[in-house]
Amino acid sequence: MTSAWRKILAMGAGGWLLAAPAHLFARSQTSASGALAPAERTGTRIVTDETGRQMTIPAEVRRIVTLAPNLTETVYALGLGDRLVGDTNECNSPPAAKAKPHVGEPQDPSLEAIVALRPDLILASTTINRAETADALLRLGIPVYTSNPHTVRGMLDSIARMAALMGVPEQGQTLVADLRGRLDSLQARLAGCPLVHVLFVVWEDPLITIGQNTFIADELRWAGAESVVVSRQNWPQVSFEEVIRLQPDYILFAGNHQESASAEIADLRSRPAWRDLHAVEMGCVADAGEEAVRPSPGLVDAIVKLAHTLHPEVFGPGQKAGPSSLAAQVAGPEGGIARGEGAACAR
Amino acid sequence: MRPLTPRRLFWICAVLSAILFVAVVISLRMGAYPISVRQIVMTLFNGALGRRDRIRSEFWLVVFGLRLPRIALGILVGASLATAGAGFQALLRNPLADPYVLGVSSGAALGAILSLTVAPRAPAAIQAAAFAGAVATIAAVYFLGRRRGQLDSSTLLLAGIVTASFLSAVIMFLMTMLSGRDLRGMAFWLMGDLAAPPSVDLRWLYLLLIIAIGSIYSTSSDLNLILTGEREARHLGVNVDRVKLVVYVAASLLTGLAVSVSGAIGYVGLLVPHVMRLLFGSDYRLLIPASALGGAILIVVADTLARTVVAPTELPVGAMTALAGAPVFIYLMRRRGR
Repeated sequence: MTSAWRKILAMGAGGWLLAAPAHLFARSQTSASGALAPAERTGTRIVTDETGRQMTIPAEVRRIVTLAPNLTETVYALGLGDRLVGDTNECNSPPAAKAKPHVGEPQDPSLEAIVALRPDLILASTTINRAETADALLRLGIPVYTSNPHTVRGMLDSIARMAALMGVPEQGQTLVADLRGRLDSLQARLAGCPLVHVLFVVWEDPLITIGQNTFIADELRWAGAESVVVSRQNWPQVSFEEVIRLQPDYILFAGNHQESASAEIADLRSRPAWRDLHAVEMGCVADAGEEAVRPSPGLVDAIVKLAHTLHPEVFGPGQKAGPSSLAAQVAGPEGGIARGEGAACAR
Repeated sequence: MRPLTPRRLFWICAVLSAILFVAVVISLRMGAYPISVRQIVMTLFNGALGRRDRIRSEFWLVVFGLRLPRIALGILVGASLATAGAGFQALLRNPLADPYVLGVSSGAALGAILSLTVAPRAPAAIQAAAFAGAVATIAAVYFLGRRRGQLDSSTLLLAGIVTASFLSAVIMFLMTMLSGRDLRGMAFWLMGDLAAPPSVDLRWLYLLLIIAIGSIYSTSSDLNLILTGEREARHLGVNVDRVKLVVYVAASLLTGLAVSVSGAIGYVGLLVPHVMRLLFGSDYRLLIPASALGGAILIVVADTLARTVVAPTELPVGAMTALAGAPVFIYLMRRRGR
């Protein structure tokens, strides 16, 4: 046998086997892009989502999967809990959401688990989901509407759009109008108040805060505050020296990153760098709560609570914002930082 | 070792292909969505005959939409990296050479990231940029790895490791600067991941794969001679420079190809050729096809583990290959020292 023949033989054996799956895949691709709508529908709509992706959505949405806790809350707030067929491991509010089938973590959901739920609409969010997830699902022919709110108003518009998408535009309008009304009355009460300079701690180690284009930065503005860190990155990591230089009036923690946020805050005074910050010395520290970092209808509650915490001069020290005021929340068993309500911050 | 005959070559390739086939079937069976082997076979059978209406739509989505594309991608990446590893080992005359260890994967990843920043929509730009990154990195490592005009084995490895960590730092820097853009995460580029299939048509990439593996294979007789000694090979009429150039370009292409679709998956190019050498001897005429098939098997198995061990959450496949590959690297290094 010649050496050329030998080469052809080996190439044939190896090459064919390598090429075979590619061929099979190529077939599946061409047919997969054809018609993967879950079933025959009477009508469909072509929709462009908030990230510019185009998709076809059935006229009547019956099976919804949400990929982020804020979207789960939104679906329930619109009264569509019974159409929700799946959510993520992180979806804990309202409590009924915990009983729904989970598809994994928001950043890394199992595509197979999603497919198994036969959704006709998936809701995703740029604040927590990865672009690849939406791309992969869209390629399978399942519509994924990604919301991309950068402001509180943008979030309200997004809620209205998603409500229309899911066939309940009136509920959406009512909900959004109510939330807008509450925000407007809050703005009226805070008119003329000086802005409180806040360090919003998304993550403590490494120290990660918020950039100016996030909905959280806008949320702070609604609550009569302003982030001390100015960054065009959405989740900038800042050095502690920078924090000392900026000397925030108030330090806010995002509640969801540790089991016991209150214990963590109480711990600050014993820590070398943190305890020397004016805000920590004065006890101007609070847990903004999990709702504060979720762009859902509950965000407005969080804003009102924040405003009460940051502006006791307007709302009065004893006036509670909600069932549990922030000051009470952070007071740990050892006395904590916040002693008594309203007296938390000696600013 | 027995001499290489066409019969032996054929049987070894056939056995490896059969193992790959079994691995593919097992991989198709495993996952968050429960589906039996019988249902998979029926889905494949009906799919091959184009009878989509006979299949439940979720089966179709899971088998043809999710698992098969991912396996096809895994085979592509595994075959590329293992063959590239075998190629670099011959080129640098160093059995510890591997695209990841030498920093070539990081160079390709950097190229890919730059192309995504500059021209995110241009077709095939990312593959071209990853290839350019790989070519530049291996050239740099080659020149840094020389001492007194000679290629020194340990200097070469050190140069590669330093280059890899330097390039990883540049990638981290870039990813921090460019955060918020539509780039894949840092973990993807530094660790490798098969979770999201690329938007490019895989047929294209397979074509490139076959061309590159074929061109390395066409030099395999010459590589055997070069490995016994460059001067002797020249005396026997081998065009050493041309052979080296072919292997250099093809191995860089393979690395760029793999990294552009799956990030920097490590140690495949080290692990697979080494195991194949242990099993079948170091004749490159057998080593190249055996490594390609072995790399495909390794990635398919590793990815199946990566997506099932901690299901429904997934590990990056690079974590799996590093778990197996790093100990082998240390073992090889210690054995050479003796």
